[in-house]
Amino acid sequence: MKTFLSLFLGMSVLLLGSAAAQADARLLASNCFQCHGTDGRDNRFEDLAGKSARDIYDEMKEMQREPSRSNIMYPHANGYTDRELRAIADYFASLRKP
Amino acid sequence: MKMNRRAFIGSLATGAAVSIHAGGADAAARRVIIVGGGMGGAALAKYLRLWSNKSIDVTLVEPNATYVSNIMSNLVITGQFQRASLNFDYASLVKKYGVKVVVGRVTGISDLVGGVREVTVSRGGATSILRAEKVALSPGISFSPVARFGSGDVVPILHAWVAGPQTELLKKQLAAMPAGGRFVLTIPKAPFRCPPGPYERACLVADFLKREKPGSKVLVLDENPGIVAEAENFGRAFSQTYRGVIEYRPGTKVVGVSNNNKTLRYKSVTATESDPYLSVSAAVMNVIPPNRANAIAQSAGLTDLSGFAPVDVRTFESTIAGKRGIHVLGDASSNTGLPKAGHVGNQGAKICAAAIINKFDGMAVEKSPVANSACFSPITNTKASWLTAVYHYDVDQKKMVVKAMSNGELVPADPVEAAQPTAENFAQMKIWYKVLMSDTFA
Repeated sequence: MKTFLSLFLGMSVLLLGSAAAQADARLLASNCFQCHGTDGRDNRFEDLAGKSARDIYDEMKEMQREPSRSNIMYPHANGYTDRELRAIADYFASLRKP
Repeated sequence: MKMNRRAFIGSLATGAAVSIHAGGADAAARRVIIVGGGMGGAALAKYLRLWSNKSIDVTLVEPNATYVSNIMSNLVITGQFQRASLNFDYASLVKKYGVKVVVGRVTGISDLVGGVREVTVSRGGATSILRAEKVALSPGISFSPVARFGSGDVVPILHAWVAGPQTELLKKQLAAMPAGGRFVLTIPKAPFRCPPGPYERACLVADFLKREKPGSKVLVLDENPGIVAEAENFGRAFSQTYRGVIEYRPGTKVVGVSNNNKTLRYKSVTATESDPYLSVSAAVMNVIPPNRANAIAQSAGLTDLSGFAPVDVRTFESTIAGKRGIHVLGDASSNTGLPKAGHVGNQGAKICAAAIINKFDGMAVEKSPVANSACFSPITNTKASWLTAVYHYDVDQKKMVVKAMSNGELVPADPVEAAQPTAENFAQMKIWYKVLMSDTFA
């Protein structure tokens, strides 16, 4: 019973933790909404909802390596850490395609 | 202790009860009143509803039924964009998100009594009281008074820095300017709404005059020591693109404007009281007075000596003694480290929305928020520049600081501007405006 209880409590903490982490990721990813639409559902620049996390992350990393100031996304991408880019990519990947 | 089945069910039930409460069964205890329906207020209303699964009751109080965008308003002044392209209503916030919109003016905000604040709203001569557990103000800016001189009736200062009737008035005066005339634009000491905005206006007016009113000049009197934002692109525009049209004088301050808005007195910022002033007359006198938070933030006691409302940027809660629990966002807020701009105001609203939801849910607020800034500025009628930065919360400075990756590490950095104005940037600017306004109002 003790094992079961601690397992249950552990799971609750994990669930609560992941809900908080998901809310944090959503707030972080909301930085993309002004140009990519609420929840990344506007395709006038590019929609992001439902895209693969790998593709979003790789594209951002590629833009980070681009020193040119010919496109606003190159320096913009460079403002996020690796951990932040992964959280943003995972958030959009978790959404249904528009 | 031996855990029996009943005790275990009991703890589950308690957990369930807590989550039902947090989920919004008791909606009466989760009310927010938002004062001001601009970029900050509208985005806050939308995201409070969206991110709480509509469990928070949100009332937006705004004096005007239609919001007039400041973004893109310089292109309306030159006649290139339609005035109607600046209009945004609250229909989507009401229909899609269930925000309650009250068209009225807030005249008072009470202290917290029993966990509830009373907000006094005046509409059409009638006064009503709204009640909520939380109040957030996004009231925008107002202006410091400008000294006037001369005889005759006092014509109001023409700033066109709050879009609306003044935008149309400036457009009319510009259109009526004689060829060879002078347009004077004055820029107040920072901080002011939209750091690139005045320089953008100088460029667009010069571009218009070059084409439509040959021989005309633009005199820019800037109280700052130099161009505040996008110094490279605007500097190049002033010295090359508009050479002979724009004359830029940094480090000069307005000391008086004639009652009829035709003559202006100014001095070097280093001049003393007894030093003589210089005088200039103009066909169009566009004076942007020093900005401060809108009157309601002043009368609610939320501002400090700067004229703006200091807040903790992690929640946008006031840091004024006795005002904790009132949130102030958008251009009226200060000590955030963020520029006063619509795109950033939208992101600040999302940070504020998440913080309010977490507080209602009894959860910790995000300790290290991130806010992006991105904006496009037209330099001519076909070419635009842009400026971008990503702000990260800095625990030592207790505000947002621009940071960027360098050798795999996040380090303090400067905002980055476009290499040069291009037609492609101009096309992207129009998309940016549409999507940004959708994310805020739709």
